[in-house]
Amino acid sequence: MKTTKTAIAAGLFASLFAGTALAQDKTLNMIVIEGGDTTAMQAVADAYEAANPGVTINLQPYPFAQFFQVAELRLRSADAGIDLVYVDAPLLASYASRGFLSAIDAGIDTSVLVPAAVEAGRYDGTLYALPINNSAQVLFYNKALFEAGGVTPPAGLTAGESATQAEVDALASGERWTWEQVAEAARVLTVKDGGRTTTYGFTVEQFGELYQLQPFGESLGTDVIGPDGYTAGGYLDSEAWIEAATFWSDLYNAWGVSPKSLGYGEAAALFGNGQLAMFAGGTWNLPILGATDIDFGVAPYPYFEGGAVLTPTGSWYVGVNAASANQAESMDFARYLTTDAEGTRIWFDSLQQLPTYRPLLEEISTAAAFDAFPQNVFRLGVYDSLNTAKARPVTAAYGQLQDAFRTAFVDIANGVPVADALASAVQRFESAAARVAP
Amino acid sequence: MTRSRSPVLLIAALLAPALIGLVVFRLYPIALAVSDSFFNVLRGQPVFVGLDNYLSLLADSTFWKSMQVTFWFNLLINPIQIALALGLALLYVQQFRGVTLYRILFLIPIGVSLPTAVIIWRIMLSQDGLVNGVLGIAGIPAQPWLTSEALALYSIIAIATWKGISYWMIFIIGGLQTIAPEIYDAARLDGVRPWQRLVFITIPLLRPTLLFVLVADVSINFLLFAPIFMLTQGGPADSTNVLMYEAYKSGFIFGDMGRAMAIIVVVVAILLVIVGLQFKLLAGREARP
Repeated sequence: MKTTKTAIAAGLFASLFAGTALAQDKTLNMIVIEGGDTTAMQAVADAYEAANPGVTINLQPYPFAQFFQVAELRLRSADAGIDLVYVDAPLLASYASRGFLSAIDAGIDTSVLVPAAVEAGRYDGTLYALPINNSAQVLFYNKALFEAGGVTPPAGLTAGESATQAEVDALASGERWTWEQVAEAARVLTVKDGGRTTTYGFTVEQFGELYQLQPFGESLGTDVIGPDGYTAGGYLDSEAWIEAATFWSDLYNAWGVSPKSLGYGEAAALFGNGQLAMFAGGTWNLPILGATDIDFGVAPYPYFEGGAVLTPTGSWYVGVNAASANQAESMDFARYLTTDAEGTRIWFDSLQQLPTYRPLLEEISTAAAFDAFPQNVFRLGVYDSLNTAKARPVTAAYGQLQDAFRTAFVDIANGVPVADALASAVQRFESAAARVAP
Repeated sequence: MTRSRSPVLLIAALLAPALIGLVVFRLYPIALAVSDSFFNVLRGQPVFVGLDNYLSLLADSTFWKSMQVTFWFNLLINPIQIALALGLALLYVQQFRGVTLYRILFLIPIGVSLPTAVIIWRIMLSQDGLVNGVLGIAGIPAQPWLTSEALALYSIIAIATWKGISYWMIFIIGGLQTIAPEIYDAARLDGVRPWQRLVFITIPLLRPTLLFVLVADVSINFLLFAPIFMLTQGGPADSTNVLMYEAYKSGFIFGDMGRAMAIIVVVVAILLVIVGLQFKLLAGREARP
């Protein structure tokens, strides 16, 4: 009997000892979107691990289409298996209001970040997430397809040319194409062979997504939802949105210039194969397109004739899961990723997203290294983020809005009448939002 | 009488594995769903709301539209699947040249996993896919199989039927093989025609098998989710938005578990009523002769 006791005591002691030894080596788990984001995050993680022996960053990538649901589920169940969370800007309110995120360490210096981006990380006055980068949308065009179709391409930045920030500002403020011009060119450039379309004139990168299409209706004068965050009637079904959605419907149904139901990354693939003349997409496509042999140009994000120039903005944040057992270590990696000269540089070099780290933005505007194409495209992003960027609405029902909006615009592309689809989106959003409204 | 030990313990021990599985994987989740349906989560805290989630469903047009879609879907798919499965089973037990090839062909769908089958069908039914290509040869214009309000639900019925019937066919074959051949021999001697043999001998004697297939098939189709999740997400214009998908969206996309669980409880209740009716109508007559 005594031997058994001794054995148990020895076992306990040994396991305690092993426990302390393991505590030195921390593994931080982070959920991210698979693809370019994961590659970039891995590069930052590798550099961080090299500088911080004993810390391992384990990335858990999920496809874009499932990411939001996985994040929602795992955060709601207080899953301690996640330490760091990739947070989409408009979902911050929803996460923070439910206590999913820890308040950001006051010791982290946020003065090096763009103030507007830091503000969007606050909820009820408390900072819950740090901006990893901003986003900028542009119009990519295939020069060879324009030439073959005998159409003059939009004024833009192209290979072999350089542009100062002042020249880019002049381009963005004076020579921006309208959506009407895009549609006219797209109709000429679309090639149909029998019943099949072999070259499409135009598409948006994110099919039916609010992020990409919010400027459509808003540039015509009406916000997508009301200032209370829970009303869509009179907004999403307004004249402005009906006009915008009719244009969207025509792209697919009347003119047939756009491919239906493109998945994540498929627009760039189609463009890279030379089967697409133009697409509106993010600057993150630059490294992907640079690896193809397509000779392309980059023009500013279009607007509707007579409407205001508005462009998509806002991007991903990093937050620390309130249920994580590794708060201090997680905060430190978030600091490195967002406010450290080395971390932000690695991220930018890998993903090519408009930064929120101010020293890097200043460098983009002034350094000679950014005069040449395609680096000067980021100067378009700088202009838009200062002059035309319109953030997505802040509402705890953002997930409901995103879903109702996507459903309506996918349905419209599939031929459902515009007024019906928008009315149904208003009804869906309002009834779902009413259940989370305070 | 030296030993009068009742076999209760033995029976309990033998039934335990099945019963434990039933309780853990069926009854416990149902109880959990019922209890969660009385709560809403506000600011991270569950709040007891009584019957509010059910009452708000009554006034919820999305829910009623979804209920309509669910019933229409089931009214079509279940008779189609069972009739086709019965037809295939009758063919399967025949003896003719090439029957082995036929048997293999109709067993293939069972071997393909549902997600794989759905992905293959999505590719075949796309705008530039195989199905439209074949129609094109016949001079028929390409159809928007999964993207039009008029066709999407029927495309899903077709895919689920393709996947499901051979499975049900196997049960019916089992049932056919329990019918004694002497009965058919006697009928033949009496000059009974083939269709009379089917209506007056085969189907009545198959009733217990058909009852099982009907109940199981209706339950599975009422709870069908994967093809809708993978192909249409309830669209276009809610035309494929069955209650299971509506509940999924409510719970897992909007984080509104209270509403999701209330929908699930309603689905289970409807299913219980339907299954109860099926037993009453089919099994009741079985007892008469």
